[in-house]
Amino acid sequence: MAGSAFASDLALGVARAPRLWRLWAIGTAGCAAAGATLALGLASDGSAEPVARAITVDWIVLSYILAGLIAWWCRPESRFGPLMVAAGFAAFLSHLSWTSLALPYAIDVPYTIGMTASLLPPVLFLHVFLAFPSGRLERWFERTLVAAAYVAAIGLGLVVMMLSDLGPHNLLGIVSEPGAALAVRRLALVAISALSLAAIAVLVARRRGTGRPLRRSLALLIDAFALALVAIPVLLIASIFDPSGMETIRRVAYAVIGIAPFVFLFVLLHARLARSNVGHLFVELRADPAPTDLRDALARALRDPSLTLAYWLPEFRSWADLEGRPVKLPSSGGRGTTLIDRDGAHVAALLHDSALADEPELLDAVTAAAGIALENGRLNVELKARTEELRGSRSRVIEAAQKERQRLERNLHDGAQQRLIALSLELGRLEERIRGDREARLRLDQARREIAKSLEELRDVARGIHPAVVSGHGLAVALEQLAAKAPVPVRLNVKVEGRFPEHLEVAAFYLVSEGLANVGKHANATAATVEVARTNAHVVVEVVDDGIGGADTELGSGLRGLADRVEALEGRLRIWSPTGGGTRLRAEIPCVS
Amino acid sequence: MRVVIAEDSVLLREGLERLLRESGLEVVGSCETAEDLLLKVRSFSPDVAIVDIRLPPTHSDEGLRAALEIRAQHPSVGVLVLSQYVEVGLAMKLLAESAEGAGYLLKDRISDVKEFIGAVRRVAGGGSAIDPIIVSTLLSKHRSDDPLEDLTPREREVLELMAEGRSNQGIADKLVITLRAVEKYVSSIFGKLGLPSSGSESRRVLAVLLYLRA
Repeated sequence: MAGSAFASDLALGVARAPRLWRLWAIGTAGCAAAGATLALGLASDGSAEPVARAITVDWIVLSYILAGLIAWWCRPESRFGPLMVAAGFAAFLSHLSWTSLALPYAIDVPYTIGMTASLLPPVLFLHVFLAFPSGRLERWFERTLVAAAYVAAIGLGLVVMMLSDLGPHNLLGIVSEPGAALAVRRLALVAISALSLAAIAVLVARRRGTGRPLRRSLALLIDAFALALVAIPVLLIASIFDPSGMETIRRVAYAVIGIAPFVFLFVLLHARLARSNVGHLFVELRADPAPTDLRDALARALRDPSLTLAYWLPEFRSWADLEGRPVKLPSSGGRGTTLIDRDGAHVAALLHDSALADEPELLDAVTAAAGIALENGRLNVELKARTEELRGSRSRVIEAAQKERQRLERNLHDGAQQRLIALSLELGRLEERIRGDREARLRLDQARREIAKSLEELRDVARGIHPAVVSGHGLAVALEQLAAKAPVPVRLNVKVEGRFPEHLEVAAFYLVSEGLANVGKHANATAATVEVARTNAHVVVEVVDDGIGGADTELGSGLRGLADRVEALEGRLRIWSPTGGGTRLRAEIPCVS
Repeated sequence: MRVVIAEDSVLLREGLERLLRESGLEVVGSCETAEDLLLKVRSFSPDVAIVDIRLPPTHSDEGLRAALEIRAQHPSVGVLVLSQYVEVGLAMKLLAESAEGAGYLLKDRISDVKEFIGAVRRVAGGGSAIDPIIVSTLLSKHRSDDPLEDLTPREREVLELMAEGRSNQGIADKLVITLRAVEKYVSSIFGKLGLPSSGSESRRVLAVLLYLRA
């Protein structure tokens, strides 16, 4: 029911497990290879040393093939298993050159392959260690490093074969330049040694760079890999000088390289066991947790404090965070993404530390346990997203209304009002010309007064539609008029400088206007204070009086419209009005600047 | 007397020009933007600039800003601001430091030709012209234990005319009383309000307005 995928590929569903018979066939082939190596060892000139050598080779061949098959079976979505199997077979191939020692007659092809591939195993080990856990090399420098190692092993190996006179079995020999062949071979040995040391640096960086405390078993595994990477250059460089204890060095190095797969199996087992550890998650989720609690519970269960959750909102065709805001999933890079699906549709995505990719069992168990809770969380977030959308459309509506009001005021101001003033001016000029005719002058004066009244009415209408002085000159200037016209003495305390977004200033202006009007109507107050201040990201507007209090705090009266206006700006309007204790109107409106 | 006009409504601008010319004033320049206004003031050094408070391009505070700039850069040029709304806050912003050579009137006032020309001449001569609405708004302001209540109705009238920027002679003419009587009322008012009476006619406007606003 829950599938997981990792950073680089967001494939859905569980990767298909490999056919069992195929694994058995590969396993049988591996055993056959081990047997063949042992047989070659036994057959070659009878001394004890080749047998011991064959056993150390088989230790590597079998450990990598076995561990690789188990990894393949347990984590079919990872290429790590097949890669380990390949490393095991490479170890076998590189020892095929023994055929020349074991058999009385020459088998040219295996000999040539074995000699050419003699440096392939260390490179494959390097590849295996760097490709943990997904089986892929995620970063460019890892890919470059491994590619360089392959070039050194195969490319230089071929050159060595072309230059060497290694007897009649060498099918690739072109010229016999033993000195040059030796030099090229040493170059390859040094190059692969250097690349192994570089790979150790990569592992150390990886061990340090994971975003969360490393599990002890995982740390152990990385140490095992690093140790094997130390053994490789030691072995290769030693083979150049061929010291007296060479055979001992070889055995120790082979033993160390062969241990890594067993440590890996141990880690795999440990991770399987960790799955049964998510039981406490079930308990935490039983109480239908809030979205943030769900995230915290998942973060604890996955031991990844950086975990974030995203929910899929089919209606919006996008991912959303816990607050319902749209988010984008990281396409790749440092963060791992695990998609959680249900009935073929996305439900949620876990964005976690990429180091979690080495514990797919844990991720699967956790996502399975959290299934229902995540589905609930998704519905919750969907609701939030709709609310968010509604809020957006409300503020758009209010903004559009304000623009329209502004336009109307402007039309009145530039149209009817200007024309009336011009008309009144003409009448005034006319009046000056007919000084003699008292009757006419009186009537003109009368007409002028009528126009003045119309203008006053128009002015009131226009002012009610939109407070032009607020948009023109700012809140502080506009509030002076309100304070001067208020029915009680008002102390004006505007502690902000500069301008705010227009819709905010207009809302604050109406708030003070309505607040002071209410003081006059209901409060029976002797004084009032208007305060405008800024706290962090909010503009705070307060209208306080010393009246009788007991106002309707349910916003039933004319305040509902103000509350709407403030809430549309994502602000909050609150009223305190204890009986006998005055009334305090306080709006907090967020402002970004 | 030389006048510059900034008004973006053609109808009003032309009406205003005719009115001023008919009243014997010389209109040396008229324009519709604040930028042009500043240019004309610089080049013609008029006695007074008549400025619409809402000028293009945004019709917000361009006119007021131009007026303040003229007051700062050309103290000898009187500035008379006209507006369709008069606001206490804007009056205080315009006067800021002094009321000398400054006026702020409701646009409607231009139709009362005699009064309006009187105001233009006053501002051009370094006096002030404050709209009666501003004064009455400030006077209506409620205060606790208000000394204004101690004024006689006549003293209140004189106070209003004083705040509008009229000279003692102007007040005497308006109320049809003698200059001596006006002077008596003025010193009585200043005594009752506790204002220093030393203020000259041009300085007392701001003092009175600030007193009323407080």
